[in-house]
Amino acid sequence: MSRRPEAPPRGARTHRTRSSSRFRGWLRHHRAMALDSSWRLLRAPFDSLVTMLAIAIALVLPAALWLTLDGARLLDTELTESATLTVYLEHRVDDAQAARVEEALAAREGVARTRLITAAEGMAEFQQSLGLEDALGRLEENPLPASVVVSPADPSPEAVRALAGALEGVSGVEEVRLDLAWIERLRHLAELGRRVALALAVLFGSGVLLVVGNTIRLAVENRRREIEVVTLIGATHAFVRRPFLYSGAWYGLGGGLLAWGLLTLGSEWLAAPVAALAASYGASFSLPQLGAVGSVTLVGCSILLGWLGAWIAVSRHLADVRPR
Amino acid sequence: MIVFEHVGKRYGGRFEALANLDFRVRRGEMVFLTGHSGAGKSSLLRLIMRLERPSRGRILVAGHDIGRLHASQVPFYRRQIGVVFQDHQLLHDRSIFHNVALPLEIQGVEPREAARRVRAALDKVGLLYREKALPIELSGGEQQRVGIARAVVNKPALLLADEPTGNLDPQLSADIMGLFEDFNRIGTTVMIASHDLALIARLQHRILRLRDGRLVADQEAAS
Repeated sequence: MSRRPEAPPRGARTHRTRSSSRFRGWLRHHRAMALDSSWRLLRAPFDSLVTMLAIAIALVLPAALWLTLDGARLLDTELTESATLTVYLEHRVDDAQAARVEEALAAREGVARTRLITAAEGMAEFQQSLGLEDALGRLEENPLPASVVVSPADPSPEAVRALAGALEGVSGVEEVRLDLAWIERLRHLAELGRRVALALAVLFGSGVLLVVGNTIRLAVENRRREIEVVTLIGATHAFVRRPFLYSGAWYGLGGGLLAWGLLTLGSEWLAAPVAALAASYGASFSLPQLGAVGSVTLVGCSILLGWLGAWIAVSRHLADVRPR
Repeated sequence: MIVFEHVGKRYGGRFEALANLDFRVRRGEMVFLTGHSGAGKSSLLRLIMRLERPSRGRILVAGHDIGRLHASQVPFYRRQIGVVFQDHQLLHDRSIFHNVALPLEIQGVEPREAARRVRAALDKVGLLYREKALPIELSGGEQQRVGIARAVVNKPALLLADEPTGNLDPQLSADIMGLFEDFNRIGTTVMIASHDLALIARLQHRILRLRDGRLVADQEAAS
């Protein structure tokens, strides 16, 4: 009695020990089930690998499409930044006047840079690019007007369009050409691609749920007796579900890592031809990499899908498994 | 400990498995439940285990109306009852030790404490030396003793058994019943469904006799 003179009230004390020991028991079961389920997966390596591969393949397609779109978006930004307006001057404007018009244009709000192309320069460029020196050289008069290439300060299509309208009012300007149509077309395509990628992600995500769900359904069927017995002696649904949820999460982890590997390999494999193709267009475009955040997201989503697929399968079958 | 009040159980709306059962079992009593197969013995035990709900009436176990237990409370209720099944319900991929430890594992009992209690229970049924064996390596009588060890490892206040001697010869049956009597002697309420009338008659305990789902005799223990 004298050994513990300051013993706290018994009731509170026992209650505290009990709930903390229950928590420890819960943790212990989690640890045991995580190990047990991984052990079960390893004992049937071929079956596990097939399931994981199925998950990986289902994840690779939408992920790859997403990555490509991400690359296209970078390209799109680059293109928008290089968007320019071509301001054609009136025919009667000579070189000196053209220089003054250019100054006037450069002074306008919203104009970042200007570059004057005189009629003669324009002709030379034209001849060079078309290889029509002879034919054009025979013309008595230069049919081309002088022009000014204007880089807008704000490259968004709306701002560029507004700027074009404003520049048309400058004296000496005949016409303002802006070629936004193809940029917008590209944007529509990118939006379309994004939606297709999203739809595919949803479809293939459901595919992962089904793959894991089916695998777990078989596992539940194989362990039906065990489930019946533990239910008879007081196991909660959470207790019964736990090993299967871990299996699902392991499948998801394996599938996610395989998908990551496939994507990395694939982008390595495609990198050289893509670089060559981009170079032939005079652009520098490289396939975007997953990066740390992307990798974690991919594997995380995969684990989550595996877990969810298992949850759905077990919950659906727990209702069927009733002790006789 | 167990109170049945006008309990009836119908299956599929027509078949009446149990009808108007009224009885009580006192704490610390040992009761046999007997009758032909199909008389409703198993249905009655299933009701007490809360595998099913009564269609009519109510059942109180240790003062709680178990028909009103929420589904999430049922597992915790079952942990307070030890059940011995005719077909043992052992898991064949686990050792005897782990089979007996299963209820403690479900309750998250600390492993060292669990091992102590498992060995005590196995010692009680005389099978401690087989703790590492698989159920398949044991005889029918030994498997049934493992089932009993699993049912009592938790020190339940109520022990139920459904035909625990169903497939055993008379000597083994008597041994098994002796074990139940031992647990009853230390205060456990025991209810055993059995149609082994000769054995039951010799044991001198209260007998509830069922016929076609009705209680036709309640024979107090001869003292």
